[in-house]
Amino acid sequence: MAVSNPSTLLPLELVDKCIGSRIHIIMKSDKEIIGTLLGFDDFVNMVLEDVTEYESTPEGRRITQLDQILLNGNHITM
Amino acid sequence: MSRRQTPNEFLQQIIGRPVVVKLNSGVDYRGVLACLDGYMNIALEQSEEYLNGQLKNKYGDAFIRGNNVLYISTQKRRI
Repeated sequence: MAVSNPSTLLPLELVDKCIGSRIHIIMKSDKEIIGTLLGFDDFVNMVLEDVTEYESTPEGRRITQLDQILLNGNHITM
Repeated sequence: MSRRQTPNEFLQQIIGRPVVVKLNSGVDYRGVLACLDGYMNIALEQSEEYLNGQLKNKYGDAFIRGNNVLYISTQKRRI
């Protein structure tokens, strides 16, 4: 039985599909960022809009920043 | 193959605007973005340093090395 090659989905393609959607980013530290994805680059630095920052230990939600943020891809886990 | 080059465009657009720069250590800097480069090295003017409460004020130029930068944000509103 011949198995047809499934079309390979590159990780960056998946991120590309998310442009315009609200996404949830988990950082290496106990921090999560939720925002709308505007764009990204080959290093997966991301430009997000309407961002809320969550930290696990202190009071909970920390800062809401409007406009845009450039998130350094080095610290992104998931 | 660049995907819309959004981070680079973003960097060109925000020069001169008030920004918030957060470092890995969690320290917050608010100031006017004088210039920056592709490594996220930043020069800020009239920056203030926040660690929970307000710590120090700096006037003039502050230079931040890019490897410490968690994010750069333009600011409008804060909760």
